[in-house]
Amino acid sequence: MKSIERFYLLRYIKSPKRMLMRFSFVFMVLGIVISVGILSAGLNLFEGYERALKTVLLDSFAHIKIESGGGRFLNQEQLERITKTLQDKPEIVSLTPYIGINLMAIDSENTRGCVFNAYHTPEGKELHYGKFVVEGRAQVNDGEVVIGHYLAEEFDLKVGDEISLLYPQLRRVTPLGVSSDIRRFKVVGLYRSGYYEFDRSLIIGTLTDARNILFTDDPFAAVEIKLDNEHVDKAKELASSYRMGLGADLIAYPPLSGDLLRIVAMQKWLIFIVFSFLVLIAGINVISAVSTMILDRKNQIAILRTLGATAATVRKVINYQILLVCFIAIIIGQAVGALLSLLVVKQGFYRLKGEVYFIDKLEHYISAFNLVTVFMVASILVIICVWIPSRQINRLKIIDLIRNP
Amino acid sequence: MILTAHNISKVYQDSHRTITVLDGADLEVKKGELISITGQSGCGKSTLLHILGLLDDSDSGTISIEGMQVNSRHPDAPFIRNSKIGFVFQFHYLVEDLTAAENVALPLLIAGKNIAAAQEEAREILSRLGLQDRVSHFPNQLSGGEQQRVALARALANKPSIVLADEPTGNLDPANSLEVWKLMRQLNEELGQTFVVVTHDRELAKLADKSYELSLGKLTLL
Repeated sequence: MKSIERFYLLRYIKSPKRMLMRFSFVFMVLGIVISVGILSAGLNLFEGYERALKTVLLDSFAHIKIESGGGRFLNQEQLERITKTLQDKPEIVSLTPYIGINLMAIDSENTRGCVFNAYHTPEGKELHYGKFVVEGRAQVNDGEVVIGHYLAEEFDLKVGDEISLLYPQLRRVTPLGVSSDIRRFKVVGLYRSGYYEFDRSLIIGTLTDARNILFTDDPFAAVEIKLDNEHVDKAKELASSYRMGLGADLIAYPPLSGDLLRIVAMQKWLIFIVFSFLVLIAGINVISAVSTMILDRKNQIAILRTLGATAATVRKVINYQILLVCFIAIIIGQAVGALLSLLVVKQGFYRLKGEVYFIDKLEHYISAFNLVTVFMVASILVIICVWIPSRQINRLKIIDLIRNP
Repeated sequence: MILTAHNISKVYQDSHRTITVLDGADLEVKKGELISITGQSGCGKSTLLHILGLLDDSDSGTISIEGMQVNSRHPDAPFIRNSKIGFVFQFHYLVEDLTAAENVALPLLIAGKNIAAAQEEAREILSRLGLQDRVSHFPNQLSGGEQQRVALARALANKPSIVLADEPTGNLDPANSLEVWKLMRQLNEELGQTFVVVTHDRELAKLADKSYELSLGKLTLL
């Protein structure tokens, strides 16, 4: 930066009232602050949503599932083989055999399709779903269940109440088809994972009850595996490697598809592109402010050119001053965006629809990468909007400026 | 020779007529001279000065500054305007947002001098011109005579080979006009500063070493 450019920039910083607070600048700054604020807030909310959804999904779902081929239950030999093969893998946090049954919760007014899961937790080990039980207790005995809190709300149930579950009696076939049975279970805990589908339809009971419902003596339907944080993203590759070691009769796969998260990430960047157009619109104010400033300062431009400054130097003198204001406006916009997204999260009027968005709570997250990205994109747009009109300085003739001050 | 202008012509054309402002004007300025150019209003005095100062182009003719043939489109024209020519205008053309010292420092900053040194030098020049108490004043806090002296200080900042003054006293009362002329004469005598001063005031013009009259596009030595 040349002395004259640095001098003007420092002069601007030293006396902003005299130099900066021009009328046309106010609208330019407002436009940038508002557009960058909206862009940042949108990105913060989408980033928060993406991260919250990922956390909830990874917490709620098994990272890898191992099942017997053909939809059969695992037999004792298969279960032992799985345990023997995988128990020493350092990336595996928990390996939980379980039974899952599709059934229905009913009362006089409501019917809801549910999943009844029963997990085998070895003595002394912590229940892996325990952290999601927000009311009552996680430990269930025969005849007791933990249910999702939305299910409890829908059926108006509290801890201590009973829930009726309707399930098919597969061994009782009548001329009219498979008959069904209803059994009542005592609700001992409410489950809240944040993942709407689970909170609405999950019922956790004992293995004995699950086997009784299914009339089976087979030990487990499948094995759920949770990986440590470092390996969560490699679930697909790990499942493939486990499958190779387990034998052809067992299938290992990650039940959680990455597509959902990829779609959310794509939505986030689409929002970013759309909101970036707001900054571009604010850029029109910048173009107007620069043009006004050039007109306002024809005298100064004439003086500087007469004193030997080149057109390029004069352009830089003006551009640096405007860019300084714009960069400050962008930073203020980012702060406003952070505040805005925080307010949206804290407000109590609007909640996400769980059945649409999978989670029901708005989250925001300010990531350094997003901050830098917004700053860079807004800066580039602003630089272009400053650069375009400032080219007219090249076309101004000194003599015209002196003759028509 | 500091400045030589040979056969300078300038014609303005509008939709109805052609006006010949300069028609083969010649001028030679030696180092240390104080030259005045007089003429009727609209005769082309300012145009000549703008052409000599590389602010405008002539239609024909040549200009040499310290032996180098130049014009306003010459790639070195900004450098020459900054280092070899000082300008004083009728309207002082000071930057309203800058103090007197900052205004005077502008040519030094354009030349690449660092900010502190440029401002220090500007204060020294202002002191030499008797404006030591006005260095931090903004132009609107100065009288007309003071403003023009600040403009003169700015013209002298880079120790130019020649100062071109276009009606420097045109906006001043007689007392201030005389004071500015005396100042130019003093700088001319003490520092050997070369001046070309355009004025419509024939009495003041007599204070110069040489006086030319611009008439019908030609310069005549009086």
